[in-house]
Amino acid sequence: MSGPLSPLIHLIDDDLAVRESLALLIGTVGLRTQTWGDPQAFLDQFDRASIGAIVLDVRMPGIGGLALLDALVGQGVDQPVIMLTGHGTVEMCRRAFKAGAAEFLEKPVDDEQLLEALQQAVRRHVDSRERTQADQAARERYQQLSEREREVLGFIVAGLTNKEIARALALSPRTVETHRANLFAKLECDSLAQLIRRYAGLVEATG
Amino acid sequence: MRQWLRTQGGWWLAWLLVSGAGAVWLARGELRQLREDFEVNGRIAHRLMSQQVVQYDAVLATLALLEPAPGAARSERRLPSVYPSILDVERREAGGSWPDPSLAPAEARSRQLQRPEFVADDFASGRYRLVIGALPISYALAIDLATAVPWRDWPMDPKTSPVRVTLEYAGQRFVVQPGAAAAEGGWHFDFRKVLASDSQAFELVAEQRVPWTGLPWTAMAAWSLAMAAALGGAYALRRQRIARRRAEELLRLGQVARLNALGELAAGMAHELNQPLTAVLANTQAAQRLLAEEPPELATARSAMKQAAEQARRAADVVGRLRRVIERPDRQAELRPVALQEVLRSALHLLAPEMARRTVTPSIDDATAAPVWVLAEPVALEQIVHNLLMNALQALEEVPAGERRLQLSIGMQAGRGLLAVSDNGAGLSPEALPRVFEPFFSTREGGLGLGLSLSETLASGMGGALEAAHAEPRGARFTLRLPLAGTSAQEMHR
Repeated sequence: MSGPLSPLIHLIDDDLAVRESLALLIGTVGLRTQTWGDPQAFLDQFDRASIGAIVLDVRMPGIGGLALLDALVGQGVDQPVIMLTGHGTVEMCRRAFKAGAAEFLEKPVDDEQLLEALQQAVRRHVDSRERTQADQAARERYQQLSEREREVLGFIVAGLTNKEIARALALSPRTVETHRANLFAKLECDSLAQLIRRYAGLVEATG
Repeated sequence: MRQWLRTQGGWWLAWLLVSGAGAVWLARGELRQLREDFEVNGRIAHRLMSQQVVQYDAVLATLALLEPAPGAARSERRLPSVYPSILDVERREAGGSWPDPSLAPAEARSRQLQRPEFVADDFASGRYRLVIGALPISYALAIDLATAVPWRDWPMDPKTSPVRVTLEYAGQRFVVQPGAAAAEGGWHFDFRKVLASDSQAFELVAEQRVPWTGLPWTAMAAWSLAMAAALGGAYALRRQRIARRRAEELLRLGQVARLNALGELAAGMAHELNQPLTAVLANTQAAQRLLAEEPPELATARSAMKQAAEQARRAADVVGRLRRVIERPDRQAELRPVALQEVLRSALHLLAPEMARRTVTPSIDDATAAPVWVLAEPVALEQIVHNLLMNALQALEEVPAGERRLQLSIGMQAGRGLLAVSDNGAGLSPEALPRVFEPFFSTREGGLGLGLSLSETLASGMGGALEAAHAEPRGARFTLRLPLAGTSAQEMHR
């Protein structure tokens, strides 16, 4: 089950026993873990492309957990971060959430709580990665359209009929019909609804 | 120097101003008094001298009116024996001539002015003559001013008075009273008035010099000293109050610092314990999951349990280390006899502001008049009493201000000294009562729950005991029992 494509959980804690025990516990639900004792090494080396989540101890020598969280968010790391702390104050919790933590848990942490939080975080990360990938593919297909096809697409999204588009562009309805067929093929859409759902945003964004 | 200026400069300046203003006021009052006296004396002297010279006018006028029979005995010759200041009487009968021809022009003027006329022979030594031109006989009186002064009624003592009195006429001066030698500087009083007689219009001049030494230096110095004493007292009082406030502040800061240190200790301890506990929990829960798998992953589960056991031991080590840090084996040696009354008094003194703020007046029930000497470590005992009192005060916060009761009693029972603190606060619930001495147990919102626990530990460390009970009709009662100094000394002997 834990193949190379299964999500990877990064565990950062200066305490070896804590790292290993948590890795063991997380491993029991089939998630891969990579443990880091040194926050700086983690920041320098970890695989930013992997799917998964990051578990961070707040209290660490060198870079503190909150500072590391700030650094990750600043670098645009998209893996959700779960903070762990021995004695969390309300203030610390507030700061962590404000800095972009996905979850804030107190040590010692119960397995159900931690695993549930991790699974939810991984799910969210997978969703967000898929969404960005879909966006990327759509953008690439959109780039293939000719100038005229983009104009036609804009009118389609705006809700105009073929005849109206032909009148607006001073073309024959038949030519519009051809453009329409071409752009449906290029954008890999089977229906008007699908086309609008996927590309309305892009059309509006590019104007 | 700058420090001195800042702390005391203002006080010295205030003293200078106050004593300076007071001295000026005193000196002015004294000078005004002296001037008043001087002027009164001057007026009296003027009146007396005026009366005196007017008398001579009257005598001459009387003589002129007598018209004695020619050849009759010259009764005027008896005048010098009646008036010592009249040295001699001369006469000139109509057609006759004066023994002293210099009197003639005066007589002529007298006739013209219709009043006696004056001849200044030797005015500086007080001698002059007074002439009246009359018919049939003109008279002249030789007068000695020195004997004319009515010393009996004189307002000043001519020998000691500092006032110089003179009579002046046409640049000549007769000294009535020499006064004090006129020194330079100081103040000068001056009184001038012409005598109330047309014939003898001498000017009476009174002068007085008040030298610097005439100021009321004693009173001024006394005032200055009194001010110094008053300001010194105020300064000392202020210093004392500041010192007291500083001491209170230090005490409060000490408490805050202790709390901070305690918070730091708790945070460090939480981290030190949480790490192994996290590992224990994660390992055991991982093992549970591994054992639940089909087939169970026995080897990994076993290793996880071994890890868990190791981490549990690590947690135990942390606790052991902490205990060694907190416990001080050398405490026992410092026990010495302490009077419970003394400890209570000093704790109440420290808490006096707290009591006042909460309007709590403790009532002390001291069954034994004599001091109860117990064997204790003074600082620890003070800490216990302080904690018990603070505890009671906090419990009393729930009670309306007028009904707060804090009952303190000291006594002896079964060879032990006994100090009880009772309040009529909310008291302890049956669930709370057995737990009051547990660390971190508190019924108070935000309470650390260490005060009573620490007190109990300290009390048993000194061979005593701390007990909690319900008070009647409501509230809590804490009783501290400690071995009496006497009995324990006997035990040591045996």
